[in-house]
Amino acid sequence: MLKENLQKFFKIDRRWIFLLLAAMLFIPIMKPLGLPNKTISRDVQHSFDFMDKLPAGSFVLFSLDYDPSTRPELHPQAIAMIRHAFKKNLRVGVVTFIAGSTGLISEIFESVPKDYKKVNGTDYVVFPYMANPTAVMTQMASDIYGIYDKDEAGADSRTLPVMQGIKSYKDMSLVVEITGTAMLDYWVAYVGDKYHIPVIGGVTGISQPGYGPYLQKGQLRGLLGGMKGAAEYESLVKVPGKGTSGIDSLNLGHLLVLILISISNIILLIIKWL
Amino acid sequence: MDLLAHFWTLFCGLFVITDAWITAGAWLAAGLTIFLFSFLYKDNPFFKTAEHLYLGAGMGWLLQVSFYSVLVPKVWEPLMRHQDWHDWLVLVPSLLGLSLLTQFVPKISWISRYGFTFLMGYGAGLAIPVGLSTDFISQISGTVQPLSMMASMTPLMIFNAFLVAFGVICVLFYFFFSVEHKGHMQKVSNTGIYFLMIYFGAAFGNTVMARFSLLYGRFDALYTFSSARYLYATQYILIGMVVYFAIHGFLTRDKKEPEAAQ
Amino acid sequence: MKLIKKYIPLAIVFVFGVLTLASYYIPHKVSVDYLEIVSQWENIVYAFAFLLGLISLFYSHYHKIARKADGWGYSIFVFIGFLAMVIPAYMSHGKQSTETGITLLGWSFRYIYNALSSTMFAVLAFYIVSTAYRSFRIKSKQAFVLFVAAFILILGKVPLGQIIWDSVLGWTHYGVSDVIEWIMSVPAVAGKRGIMIGLAIGAIVTSFKIIFGIEKQYLGKD
Repeated sequence: MLKENLQKFFKIDRRWIFLLLAAMLFIPIMKPLGLPNKTISRDVQHSFDFMDKLPAGSFVLFSLDYDPSTRPELHPQAIAMIRHAFKKNLRVGVVTFIAGSTGLISEIFESVPKDYKKVNGTDYVVFPYMANPTAVMTQMASDIYGIYDKDEAGADSRTLPVMQGIKSYKDMSLVVEITGTAMLDYWVAYVGDKYHIPVIGGVTGISQPGYGPYLQKGQLRGLLGGMKGAAEYESLVKVPGKGTSGIDSLNLGHLLVLILISISNIILLIIKWL
Repeated sequence: MDLLAHFWTLFCGLFVITDAWITAGAWLAAGLTIFLFSFLYKDNPFFKTAEHLYLGAGMGWLLQVSFYSVLVPKVWEPLMRHQDWHDWLVLVPSLLGLSLLTQFVPKISWISRYGFTFLMGYGAGLAIPVGLSTDFISQISGTVQPLSMMASMTPLMIFNAFLVAFGVICVLFYFFFSVEHKGHMQKVSNTGIYFLMIYFGAAFGNTVMARFSLLYGRFDALYTFSSARYLYATQYILIGMVVYFAIHGFLTRDKKEPEAAQ
Repeated sequence: MKLIKKYIPLAIVFVFGVLTLASYYIPHKVSVDYLEIVSQWENIVYAFAFLLGLISLFYSHYHKIARKADGWGYSIFVFIGFLAMVIPAYMSHGKQSTETGITLLGWSFRYIYNALSSTMFAVLAFYIVSTAYRSFRIKSKQAFVLFVAAFILILGKVPLGQIIWDSVLGWTHYGVSDVIEWIMSVPAVAGKRGIMIGLAIGAIVTSFKIIFGIEKQYLGKD
């Protein structure tokens, strides 16, 4: 009797599992659960500490190279780091080498600067999309205005207050690359190593393990990995955003997978013994 | 001609993205998302429609990307400029590319071999140094290098370095099929299998997180589109799908009952 | 006839293969120029190759509509989806956003293509979970090792999992993130490296076969 019941449970219609997963992921979106966020990983802490120690007025170059497909993991990272930069009164410059990023960048700068009363041109500047990353990265080592003579709105970059005293990497304090592609490798190889400017990366969860060697050697000062990295950075900046709420959903989703696998194997064992 | 250009500008003006366009876009995105998810319940015409739309839209997107980032700047513009021989040189790959299209005419399809052989030759020539340096030599050097720095490592690091080297060798033994796996060879290749299993388990764990992040992203978008700003797009479309499935189930149940009665 | 149909194409493979291979190992300006030019050529020829696939697809769906085969109505949507991307691209000159905001192409990308492609991938998440429940059977020692590695990784990636680990195994003073880091940098690296080396050897051998004309399948029938 028990054996038949257990076997029926085994062969449960998979649509119930789909519904359970959908509920587990959707509920935290509607009502954030605020599940405890335990440790801050070492690389995220290093990233935060590095930016925190920069003096006010330093120039930080953000390279935001991700498109809507990697948005859930990378967009919260970008927002959290830009918020941190604004909080510390750092000057922010944004470049991109992926055509799909431009819409996402406009989304960020439509809302975030207002919270810190930052003005376009005075506190931050967004440069237009450029297609050839390595050529642009090399050009910026000597004269940034050779490529970015105008910002995205068409204003002359040289006259902008935010660009005062900035001509090349020597005048910048930090490069932050947030991407779902291998663009971070380019920044480390062509810019960080060559011109000795610090680089911090933000990547998807899948790519994160591959950057261990760079962190070990110090070529990367810090790394944010996936939604978890975003959530950790948000908790350090003390502004919870999509990263934190996403982690709640992922918490429950992951636990569901583990519970289901464990249950199915326990049932298998019990059936074998009966 | 001026009149035509004037009308075209007016026509394009209709397509300036306003708030109404954004709301319409939200309905479209929510609808397509829910149609694709509806396959999880049962195959249905809405899913098939969205699937075919995806096929067409994917091809359309790739075409416009290859058109505006390759064909226009690298073929059309140099040919229009024709300043020096560099510009005329693009005729060579263009002709090779056009030769590929003769594939559709069986009598002259042998011309397409010229395009294919160029791609294959370049690709094969490229694969060798790239494969050698990135996947072969640097992997081996990464394994061996820590063993050469033993003086400056902690005991745990030394153990780790030896374990990695041992694991790589065992895995390579597993993949060496020219010699039969028996006796000691089998023990070594079995150990290699365990290392592979750990790698696959780790890869599975990473994949789960990435897929869930994507799914969370879609649910978040659906939740955003369910707000008043987008006129409750998600709710209406979901209710519509539920009603459809209910009616469809009811109608097909009626069809099944007479069959069962017979 | 055989010369231009068979031998000249094979000669092209050989010449370009050897030139590209040599250019990587000969540090001279000519090599660098050659590689730059040939990689541009490859981009262009590849764009035409994409057209090949596109025409093939349209041909098959057009015939489905013409013959009114089963499900021909859906084939119309393939063309609709295609036009929904291509017409905005033409009207916006390939740009997704301008100073005034997103263009029609940007709108199309965000609300049509992106919605469709992200959802297609997201649906896989559901199948991962249902397959994990129904098929992840631990029937051997090796499967058990796979299960343990996957279990630790999934558990450690989320804070709740870390808390569970600490409450059960906290006495070992090893946090789950330390264990994950060790797994990812030692045994998993060994497995990955072995696979990469094996794949690289296979790719190199196949490439040599293609360059020297031993592998001729891609030429099609004689």
